[in-house]
Amino acid sequence: MDAIAGSKFSDVDEYGFKRGDKFDYKAYGKFMDSYLKTLTRRRIKWDALLKQNPDLSLLSPTLKRYIRKGIPGPYRTNVWMAITGADVQMKKQPNLYSSLLNIQHFNKEISDSISIDLPRTFPDNINFDLEKERLFNILCAYAHHNREIGYCQGLNYIAGLLLIVTKDEEKSFWLLKYIVEQITPQYHSHNMANLLRDLAVFRELVIRRIPEVNRHLEDLGLPYAVIASKWFICIFAEVLPVETVLRIWDCVFAEGYKIIFRAALALFTTHKSAILNCNEIATLANLFRELMIKDSIVTNCHSFIESMFALRLKRNEIESLRKVSVLNGN
Amino acid sequence: MGAREDEYDYLFKVVLIGDSGVGKSNLLSRFTRNEFNLESKSTIGVEFATRSIEVDGKTIKAQIWDTAGQERYRAITSAYYRGAVGALLVYDIAKHLTYENVERWLRELRDHADQNIVIMLVGNKSDLRHLRSVPTDEAKLFAERNGLSFIETSALDSTNVETAFQNILTEIYRIVSQKQIRDPPEGDVIRPSNVEPIDVKPTVTADVRKQCCQ
Repeated sequence: MDAIAGSKFSDVDEYGFKRGDKFDYKAYGKFMDSYLKTLTRRRIKWDALLKQNPDLSLLSPTLKRYIRKGIPGPYRTNVWMAITGADVQMKKQPNLYSSLLNIQHFNKEISDSISIDLPRTFPDNINFDLEKERLFNILCAYAHHNREIGYCQGLNYIAGLLLIVTKDEEKSFWLLKYIVEQITPQYHSHNMANLLRDLAVFRELVIRRIPEVNRHLEDLGLPYAVIASKWFICIFAEVLPVETVLRIWDCVFAEGYKIIFRAALALFTTHKSAILNCNEIATLANLFRELMIKDSIVTNCHSFIESMFALRLKRNEIESLRKVSVLNGN
Repeated sequence: MGAREDEYDYLFKVVLIGDSGVGKSNLLSRFTRNEFNLESKSTIGVEFATRSIEVDGKTIKAQIWDTAGQERYRAITSAYYRGAVGALLVYDIAKHLTYENVERWLRELRDHADQNIVIMLVGNKSDLRHLRSVPTDEAKLFAERNGLSFIETSALDSTNVETAFQNILTEIYRIVSQKQIRDPPEGDVIRPSNVEPIDVKPTVTADVRKQCCQ
């Protein structure tokens, strides 16, 4: 608690999340000193770019570069909607969302399972209590729109964060649809087939790049599903610090699923020695669950994103590993 | 918490299962860290914690795997039943449906877990007296008929949490140590000297479940 004394930062971040007792205000202050300058510089660049009225649905090399360096908060929703084509879809089916909300009888099993998760979604966000009804609407509408997926736990965190950023139910619905169907198809389905496949692919990527880390995990007996299920299911929402998640999502929306692998691999490479220094499965589990998802490496979103793109990773490699993984039954 | 983390006589793997929202994660945090989180979050995937206790002067280390309750997550979690010697099957005494689903969870264990797994039926949230919808006697009878031990707990006010874990770990210990008297050494899988490696790859081959239509 004392950590906040003398800090110029509030104990609640700009999205309404409480920073928590263990938050390192000193390290954060140091990071923000330089990041605020970056944000200002990027904002000026984006202002200039947007003045030229570029087609935001086409990922030009310039736009790609700009997005990797972070979309300024005020432009985020519009850029996400445009680059994913969600805005076009929304215009094509202007009544879809409202008609889903008008369904007379929601499937009780679906609405009950969503209701269980409402109080358990971002309880540490001081504004989010007021958003619970809107979150329910988005999740329920989507579950009835896509019966094959229905409601999968974890979507509450994705939809919740979309709502915090866009402040708009309908746009959140369309972006959620894009994520579930275009970015992570069959992750959230009843057999979670592609999630299992991609966890196996991720393991293989670790073996190829940092074999000693994989060996260590296997020696201690901590499975990848324990480490990384939530990373993939929630695309790091409710895992990494919000600003870092949003920077990752900027790239995910622009460049696709490959970014999720980049982020997961970067978490491993930037914490290699910390992982290797754990000599016991419980310490290791704690490192993944508590420590490394909020330390200064991931809080410094700008340098974390840079470390993601410093990795060599080609779409081809993931695609061929996916094929092998499916052949082997994961 | 008593014994040193890296020194133990027995290592027991225990899984926490049951419907979504019955309080599995809080039971785990109450037992391993003496914490209860009112602002609890839904568990995604599988989580893990350990704690050591003493039984008969032996140090028993419990490796407890906490799993997401939603049915589809069994695609990930069922792999973790393998090698488990104990299971806490949790329901919420204030939500009858979570009790009705106990049978489905038992079937799940029968399909994926070791045949000799020790199962304890746990009625959690016993602090919610005024909302109770599952009578203690009914659950007790059900447990007896199915050969399960039974206890009611409250992770919120701590009632019986320690006892629940103590009981199941002791029960497992008795079985294992008697088994060792009967058929000595030859290395029991549960001895620390050869901790069973936990397979990374979930068993999904035979798991192409039919999707239920609504």
